[in-house]
Parts: sequence; structure tokens; C-alpha cells
Amino acid sequence: MKTPARPSRPVPGSFVSAQRALSRRQFLRNAGVVMSLPWLDSMLPAFARGETLKAATAKPRRMLGICNNLGLLPDQFFPKTAGRGYQLSPYLESLREHRDDFTVFSGVWHPDVDGGHPADICFLTAAPHPGSGGFRNTISLDQYIAERIGHETRFPSLTLGVNVLQGQRSLSWTGSGVLIPCEEKPSDVFRKLFVQGTPAEVEAQMRKLAQGQSILDAVGSQAKDLQRGIGARDRDRLDQYFTSVRELEQRMEMSKEWEKRPKPKVTASMPLDPASPKEYMEKVRLMYDMARLAFQTDSTRSISLLLDSVNSPTLDLDEEHKLTDAYHNLSHHGRSEAKIAQLKTIDQWHMKLLANLFKDLKAVNEGGDTLFDRTMVLYGSNLGNANTHVTTNLPVLFAGGGFRHGQHLAFDTAHNYPLPNLFVSMLQRMGIESDKFATSTGTMRGLEMARA
Amino acid sequence: MNSVRPHEPYGIPAFKALVAGAWGLLAALNVGAATPPLTQPGASAAFIEKHCAGCHDSVEKKGDLDLTALALNPGDPKNFARWLKVHDRVESGEMPPKKKTRPAAGEVREFLAPLAKSLAAAEQARAGDEGRATRRRLNRYEYENALRDLLGAPWLQVKDALPEDGEAHRFNKVGEALDVSHVQMARYLGVADYALRQVMARSPEQPATAMTRYHARDQRSFTGPMKFSVFNTSPERATFPVLGFEPQPEVRAGKAPVTVGAADPATRDLEGVGVVAGNYEPLEPKFISFKAPAAGRYRLRFNAFSVRVGPTVQIDPKKPDRWWIPDLDKVARGRRSEPITVYSETPPRQLRWLGTFDAQVEPGLHELDVWLLAGETIRVDASRLFRSRPGAARWQNPLAEKDGSPGVVFRWMDVEGPINDRWPGAGHALLFGDLPLKKAEKPGAPAEVVSANPAADAPRLLKNFLNQAYRRPVPAHEVKRFMPVIEHALKNNASFADAMIAGYTAVLCSPEFVSIEEKPGKLDHHAIATRLAFFLGNSAPDAELRALADKGGLRRAETLRAQTERLLNDPKSKRFTEAFLDYWLDLRRIIATSPDEALYNEYYLDDLLAESAVFETRAFFAELLRGDLPARNVISSDFAMLNEKLAAHYGLPPVEGVAIRKVALPADSVRGGLMTQASVLKVSANGTTTSPVLRGVWIMERILGETPTPPPASVPAVEPDIRGAATIRDLLAKHRTQEMCASCHTRIDPAGFALESFDVMGGFRTHYRAMGVEGKAPAPGIGFGGQKFTFHYALPVDASGELPDGRTFADVRELKRLLLTDERAIARNLVKQLVVYATGAPVRFIDRPAVEKILDRAAARGYGVRSLVHEIVQSDLFLNK
Repeated sequence: MKTPARPSRPVPGSFVSAQRALSRRQFLRNAGVVMSLPWLDSMLPAFARGETLKAATAKPRRMLGICNNLGLLPDQFFPKTAGRGYQLSPYLESLREHRDDFTVFSGVWHPDVDGGHPADICFLTAAPHPGSGGFRNTISLDQYIAERIGHETRFPSLTLGVNVLQGQRSLSWTGSGVLIPCEEKPSDVFRKLFVQGTPAEVEAQMRKLAQGQSILDAVGSQAKDLQRGIGARDRDRLDQYFTSVRELEQRMEMSKEWEKRPKPKVTASMPLDPASPKEYMEKVRLMYDMARLAFQTDSTRSISLLLDSVNSPTLDLDEEHKLTDAYHNLSHHGRSEAKIAQLKTIDQWHMKLLANLFKDLKAVNEGGDTLFDRTMVLYGSNLGNANTHVTTNLPVLFAGGGFRHGQHLAFDTAHNYPLPNLFVSMLQRMGIESDKFATSTGTMRGLEMARA
Repeated sequence: MNSVRPHEPYGIPAFKALVAGAWGLLAALNVGAATPPLTQPGASAAFIEKHCAGCHDSVEKKGDLDLTALALNPGDPKNFARWLKVHDRVESGEMPPKKKTRPAAGEVREFLAPLAKSLAAAEQARAGDEGRATRRRLNRYEYENALRDLLGAPWLQVKDALPEDGEAHRFNKVGEALDVSHVQMARYLGVADYALRQVMARSPEQPATAMTRYHARDQRSFTGPMKFSVFNTSPERATFPVLGFEPQPEVRAGKAPVTVGAADPATRDLEGVGVVAGNYEPLEPKFISFKAPAAGRYRLRFNAFSVRVGPTVQIDPKKPDRWWIPDLDKVARGRRSEPITVYSETPPRQLRWLGTFDAQVEPGLHELDVWLLAGETIRVDASRLFRSRPGAARWQNPLAEKDGSPGVVFRWMDVEGPINDRWPGAGHALLFGDLPLKKAEKPGAPAEVVSANPAADAPRLLKNFLNQAYRRPVPAHEVKRFMPVIEHALKNNASFADAMIAGYTAVLCSPEFVSIEEKPGKLDHHAIATRLAFFLGNSAPDAELRALADKGGLRRAETLRAQTERLLNDPKSKRFTEAFLDYWLDLRRIIATSPDEALYNEYYLDDLLAESAVFETRAFFAELLRGDLPARNVISSDFAMLNEKLAAHYGLPPVEGVAIRKVALPADSVRGGLMTQASVLKVSANGTTTSPVLRGVWIMERILGETPTPPPASVPAVEPDIRGAATIRDLLAKHRTQEMCASCHTRIDPAGFALESFDVMGGFRTHYRAMGVEGKAPAPGIGFGGQKFTFHYALPVDASGELPDGRTFADVRELKRLLLTDERAIARNLVKQLVVYATGAPVRFIDRPAVEKILDRAAARGYGVRSLVHEIVQSDLFLNK
């Protein structure tokens, strides 16, 4: 922990790749040597390497992880029969046209991830005991991916949310267990992805970033000075501070370079942001759309999306479907028939939006494959049953990405199977050589890749 | 709400494996160089053999504990925790259990003393000489307050722009949990820049303080709903015009102008707009034509009064008599006062509570002194009045009587402000001294700061800023550290002000500002000033503390005591009570769940109730602190801090008005103390059901100061059932009879059972509510939203229970009486919570004597809460890192 300038230190984040060959600091130090080289190339492998890697691997792989933190009614979601010939459950009927393109799991959980609602922040991290006092979250799947292949795209990852209780909830967590806030507005995502700033804006932004770097130089140097002659625990805290300064500095450097490159052009127009949290479903639809556009333009390969249903009011659906209670209150249905009926309506809506997302991904062609074939969509919840807050028997659906789907993988509902194993399978599908993630015990049993 | 907390890994086979022989304890004596062996190992082993091994051996292994094979390796945190538990259970007399032979007192001592010594030595070795606390950054409450105080800008709202703070030992004050990430860094940059720019003078000269009257008749949100439209045809959701005390049917019918206007100011001031319902979609009156032109202090004056709107008279006898619908053309004088809640609003509907007043029967002026942000407008809510909600049938105002419905008429709001006590403001003066100002070229931009000599002005201003911002004397090289930032900006054609802001931003993001420096051992004077200020004001030291620290005068006990008194008496001490209670009692989660709309529809949407509940608890704790009232009041008090809403909610003799005041409780009241306050009962339940387990855990941890063992993660929570067929006690019964579960539940559940007498909002109940059972007639009554009750009363509540020591109680009053027998334990918990909050570190095993010393010194004053605070400040725990 003493030398903060280790390049191997995980540098997660949603904006700029962490995996840099040469830090700005190092660059300045070695300026005399490299000055004759085209400095951009040596300093920004993200671009140079990105081009070559793209050519080499040919098939970009992508991941979209979605958590609906109120889950789905279990008896409506889980199929009654297992295996490839399983019979679709009422909810899965909405996905009938994609039957062969997803796998549904039952009897899975994140081992020892309990605590009810607070468990949503662990949906992509699988860090145990989120309700307990000494809890610290760990790196999320999307950030783990971003750390490793994030430099291949303009944005290493996107962290999206719907009705998220800001600053409190997110699926994306850095390696040091720090929350990455969610993008809430589809228009902001769209702007970030596709809208080019004017030259003056770019110039102003460049100056702002340079100014930021000069500020960080000053505060970083103080952190360094303070580290002298103090105890290990205090030094560790200052080291964390210093590392954060350095990481932000690198991001600013990277951002400066991206500022110079044109953003991709799309025919889609800027989305209109729903004004009210009641328009939850429209927000979900738009975020699915933004995710699809981001993948389609290869702007990023890793996206998390938290549907903060807990924080959502009484939803406006349409004329035929009037709801009386806030989403969270409905989930505490206490077996009331009226509430369960409304929850079913909401859940079905989710299923239909998902079906549309799959359809949209299938409609995009990329190098002979569909975008769907190269995009893994993970949909699930931290709650097995929102009425009781159990975090076992999680509803999980996994689609696309080039696996042999069309099955119900049914595990023991009394002794659950670890869901992090699916994450390992996903990482391997991304081309990342990992054999462990959080509490995994291997790869997902019964899930095979379709083809290389 | 959260499910029960999870299990720590309990079985520790790895450590058992360490032990070769049968007598783990003996073998363990040599484990770990830093651990001195127990002095009398023979005695310890004999004690275990004689008193423990009957249950805790390799055969029985009760509680998954085999003491005959458990090594003592306290250098390992998990092993330490296990032995600490053994120590504490034996020390408290809980083990060996009642039914077994009691060991002699001497035997116990001989067993505990060497064990305690080993544990203490191990803990000391692990901590090294670094001190209890770890260097920590400010949490976001502290950062916001520090910025407010430094920049003289009490209105700044930046807390929510920073990431949520990590929590450890229940508080956001512990270094290990207060992380910094690149995200946090980026937010610091943004927040500091924002705050600095907010305090810059907007114009070269002091703007005149405007005084403007905003008439309700000029606000569309007031007058629009006078007319029925396709969106509303219901009188309860409409507003109505009143002149003096008289209704104005012509105006209402649109046959006369909405207002006489500026031509007739005397009449205009008597025009008002009335409501019979609270402020809730679609009826949301607000003084929208006022938008605070700049952040700052404002004086708001409201002219409002209460009225009574007559009933609709039945004309056609064949139609149902719906007398509860108001006839808005029949307005009479009010019979009682009406509470009004004032919010600031940033569109869309970002509300901030500003204050309350009671509109009286006579029109009167009600003044609020408030801080507003630029762009905020003012919303008024007649918060006792109902909020119409559609449902199974048309709503019916629960407050309507045969002779009419209560209402409120608003005439106008006067705004004075922004009120500038000095110009330019303190913040601007700190940033730019008395440099001349020029009108900005860009409209709306702050005034331009003119520096004739940036090379001299910049370091001078920077030095002054550093001295104010940092909490200790600033060495000269720090100025040199930050000057390059300013120079860089100037070189890049930034204005002088922008360049200085860049430099200041760096200072406000630097570790010296963002984190708290303490050197191991005795704290120096500046570190004491800092601890004291962040403890009792949740902010950086003020000028007086800083001056004392500079003079080196803070170590003296009398000085420290005087400063503690001063800080506690300062109005800013409410930052302490609020921040402390937000975490200790989870008050920040008061709206995390809302009461179920069907099961608890008299609470649903009742903001005044939820807000009053929080104010009650804050006022209660402030009262304990103010009056140095004994800590036992945490469990039971003969008074409560109430307003009308709460007195009614608690079924106590009525008081009138929205202000919280101290009220003596009847001798047999179930209220008094923290456990039976609505806020606590609310945050320890979800909106639909209560659970004795969850509440039991909550009370144990926060009020009794014990840490329950969490359930195994594989055990599902008991599923609540609101159909009323079984009580939660029935559902738990099976669980509790299993020995594995019972060992913990006998400790957890008692307080929870006693609190079953209180519903999800803290209302007293003798029966549970249930829904969805055919043939059951619903209870009579109408909810806050105007819908009839649909629940019915089901099984009776049984609030009786048995404490782990065998003492039984019939209800919460008896439970409180039992708990009151150990006042020191109540005080001990409070001290433990306060010590974490004040020092950023938990009370460790070796800190226990220091805590007992604090208690000893406060004992003579009945463990008065203010005395406890004083003794904590004077303690070694507080005065050492």
C-alpha cells in the first residue's frame, strides 16, 4: 500500500479506461526521451491498441446487466418443468418468440448475499452480507469487464438507472467498493454517446480538463507529503486518496483525447426524457434503447442498468391498466389479491419490454451476426420474493451472447446454486481469462457457448 | 425494510485445527508471540471442564462451540471475537446457564482475569501505537457544514452532490469506512467550485433589500382550481375566493374579475383564496410568481386564517345526501387553528421543509426567517386537511361534519430579501478581500473582481484563505503548493476571479481540508478543537476554538468544559443532534417506506405526522441534553415532546398547535422514552407489517447496546400474513421452540414483543389489522385520503414476554420498568454510541475501563446526558487519537 503509483492497481470507472500503458506523470518524467515519437501513440494505447484489437478479435462481445430490485412474482415467473423441453411459465409466454434464445434459471442465489433491499447493490458484485455493519462492496461485473477491455471503446462502461435513489443505489461499484452513480436521463446518455461539442466547447472542455489536472497535481503532492512518517492505517487512507487523485487525473487525460475524436453518428434522434418517475416503463424502454444504440455504435461493451422499483411511485401504465399503489407498496402485497393482480400487470410489462429489446438487438446486423448474438443480456433481481425479502431463489433470465439457450436450468430450491458461476461464464464469453468471480465455484453448470 | 442481519461466519474449523491436544485453551497459550500466556492455565482448563464442557464439547457442541478444542489465538480477529463472547457471557452470568451449577465468584474471576489480559494484550498489539482512530475524510454532512461555515453561506446544499458515505459501527464517522474514489474526487472538484461561485457578489453595489407582496389571487396555482374543468369537477379539489370573511360566488362563477387588482390596494389585501384540502396533486397552491433571485436569507410573512365551509344541502330527496361535499359559496368563520407547513420548491417538486405556523381564526401575520436557494419558490400546505384520493368509491373528507368542513384562506405572502447583513458577503470577502468590483459584461454573471496586481494579490488572498480553511497553522510552503494552480489559470487567460477559484478549489479538495489529521498519542490543541467542533457542531472549529488552539489552551479541563458548554448552547448544536440521531436511530430513513394505503390509510400521505415524529425525537434528545436529564429517560420519561398531531396520534390529552412543546405524561402512559416514539416505531417497521424480530434487533443494538448474532443466511424470514389468520407471534412460535433458534431469539425478541402494541406508525393497538378475508365487516372510519377503511380488526395483540434472565412482563410499560432497574447499562449504551460518533472509533475491549470511568464520573448526576457528553470530552478516549 506504500507505493501508490503501481500501474496494476485496479482503476475502474465509467469514463476512461484504466489500463494505460503510460501515465501522464510518467510521460512528463520521460518527456525528453519520447519527445521525438508521435507521443499520442505511446501515451494512448486505447486508440492504437483498440484499432488493432478490434481487427484481431473480430467479434466484439458485450454485456448488459439489469436488476429490477423488486423482482418478479415467483409463481408466475418460474417454469414448472425443467430442461430443454420445459413449459413456458405465464410470464415467459411473453418471450415465446425468443424461446430458443434465452435460458431461465431457478434455484440460484448469490451465496450469503442477504439483507433484503440492500442486496440490490450486490446484484453484480455478489459481495456477501450487504446489510451487516462492516459491509464493503466489491467490484461489479460490469466494472471488472471495463477494467479489462474498456480501453477498446470510447466509454469503458455505462452505468444506467431508472428512478434511482441517487447517491445511494447503483449496480456499478469500483474495485475499492465505491458506488458509481447512475445516468438517469436517456437524453444525457444520448448526448454523451453521440452529440459532438462545438470547437469552442471542445476547446473550453480541454482547458477545463487541463485546469483540473493542475488542481490535482497540487492536492496529490500534498497527499504524498502527508504520507511521510505516519502509521500504516493512516497511510493507507492517504494512499487511497492519492490513488483516487491519480485515477481522476488519468481520466482527464484520456477525456482530452476523446474530445478530439468525432463521436459516431446515428439516425436516431435525441430521446425526450419522461418528466415523472411515474413514467417508469417509458424510462425503462428508453434505457433499453440507449443500451442498444451504445452497443450498435460500439461505444461501450459493458452496461449496467438498475431499475430502482423500490424508489418508484404509483406507475402510470395506460388507460386500461390503472394502478392504485406505489410499486414498493404493491410488492408488500401481503397476499392481497388486488395487489398481486397489479403486480402481475407490472411484471408482464417488464417481460414485454424485454421481448422488444431482444427483437431490436436481433434486428441489427454486425459482421454476419446479429447484435443479439454478441450481446449477453442478464435480467434478474436481488429478491427472490419481494413480499418476504428473501434473497434466495432469485428470478434470473439470461439471453443472447452466443450460448446454447432454450432451457430451464433448475437447481435445488432448498440449497441454491451460486449465481456468480454465471458471471464467470460471461467473463469467459467476453474473452476475458478469468476462472473466478466473487463466490463462484466454477462456470455455470449446464450452460454452453454456442460457438467461438 | 431490511431483513434480519446476516450471520458472521461462526464455525471456525481452521482454528480448531491449530490445536493438537484435547485442551485447546492450554495448547493455545503458546500461540502468537504477541499474546502472553494465561497466568493460570490449569485453572482455566479446569473451569471449562467443570462448567462449560457439558454442552460445549466435541460431542454436544452447542451453539456450534466446542470450547475443549477452541484455541486461544486472539491475534486473529475472528478468534478474538469468539473468546470475547465467551468472556462476556461468563462475566454477565449468562453462562453457565441458570439451570446449571453456578461457579463460585472466585472461580469466575480466576477464569476471566487471564483471559481478559490475553484479549487486551492482543488488541493492544493489533492496534499498535497508531491510536484507536484512523485518519478519516469528512463525511458529506461535515463537508457541507464546513463549507457553509467557511464561506458564510448557511444556505448551501451540497450534501447530496457527494456520494453516500460508508457506515461502520452504525455511524458515518469511521475512517475505515470513509473511502475516497476517483468519483469522490471528481465530485469534490465540482462541489467546491460550485460553492465558491455561489458566494461571489452578484453586483458591484449592495442591492436594496426588496419587500414585495405576492397576492394569492395573482397566483395561477391558487386561482386556476376555482373553476371546474374536465380535470376537476369536485369542490374538495377546488379553491374558492373570499373577501374579508365573505364568500364571492360571482368571482367563483367567473362573473366578476378574479381580483380588484392594484387599483384598489385596500380591498386587494382583503382578497383571499381558500382550500378545504391539503396541498397535493392536483391541488398544489404555491406563490410561484416569487422566485428567490439569489441564495440568501429571506423573511416570509403570510396572511392566512381558518374558515369553515358549509355542507351541500340535499335538494333532490331521491338522490343520496352527500352532506360532506363542501358548498364553496358558503364560508363562515373558522372554529380552530389550522397548521400550515411551508416548503421551498425547486421545480419539478423538489421540496425542502422550511417551517410551520398555525393559521388562526382571526387573519394574522405569520413570519418565517428562512434560507433560500436561487430559483426556489414557496409552497404552502394546510397540512391537517385531507388529501383526496380516488379509490373504490368517491372520497369523503374525514374532517367534514354535518355543518361543514374546515378550511384555510391565504391572502398574501410578503417577501423581504435577500437580506444582506454585510456587503459583499462574508464568503466573497474571504475570497477576494476588498478588491474593487466591476459590473459583469455577461448578464447574470457575478461582478468582475478587479486586481491591479495579480502577482501580489493572488498569494496574499490565497494565504489568508488557507489560514481560514485549514484547521491548523499553515506553513509557508502550502501557499507555494497552490500558487501554480492560479498561475496556470492566469497563463491560460482565465479571469483573476476564475484563477483564484481554481486555487481555492484545490485547497477545498486537498487532504488537509478534506480529512482530519490526528497524530498518535495525546491530541494536540488543534486536533482537540477539531474533534470537539465535529462532535458538537458537526463542522470545523469556529474562530473562538481556533484561537484557543492557537494559544495552546484547550487541554485544560475547565477550558474544555467551558467550550463544550458554549458549543452545546450554540444553535448550531442542532447539527449534532440531527446528525447523531440520523444515524443512531436511523431517523434519516423515516420516509424509506410509506404506510400501506389500504391497511393504514389514516397515515398514508400524512406528511405532518411523519415530520412531527422526527421533530419529536430531535426535540426529545435536545431536551435530555439541555436539562442534563438522566440517561434512563431513553427508556422511560415522564414527559414527551409533542404537538397537536402527535398528542392525538398517541391518544393523549389534546394540545393545540403545530409547535413541539414539552408535555407531562399521565402516570400510566405507554409513551415516554425513545422506544415508544412514532419515529422509532416507524423506522423499525415496514409500511405494512411489524416484526418483533426486526424491532427486537433494532432495540437491542441501539437502545440496549448489544449486538445480536445474525441468523444463518439460509434461514428464510418469516413471511408476514396480513389476512389475519395468525399473529406474527404464532408464526414465530415454531421457530422459537427450536433450540438452535431459541438461544438467540430469547435475547432478541422480548423488546420486539412488547412493541407489538404499536403499529407501523407507532399508533397504539390492541388488535392486529387484517385484509382480504371474506365476510369480515371493515372497521368504521375514513382515511386521510378520504377512502373508507377496508381492513378489519383481527387477533388481539399479546405484548407480553420474558427477558433472558427470566423476568416477565405483560406489556411495554412493565418492560420499561424492568429495563430501568439497570440505569448504568442504559447510560453505557449511550456513551458507546456517542464515543463512536465523537472519536470515529468503536469502544474496544481495552477501552471498557475508560467507559466505566466516564460512567463513574457521571453517576452522581444520575448519568445526565449533558454530563455524559462532558465526561466523554474529558476522557482519554476523546483526548487521544
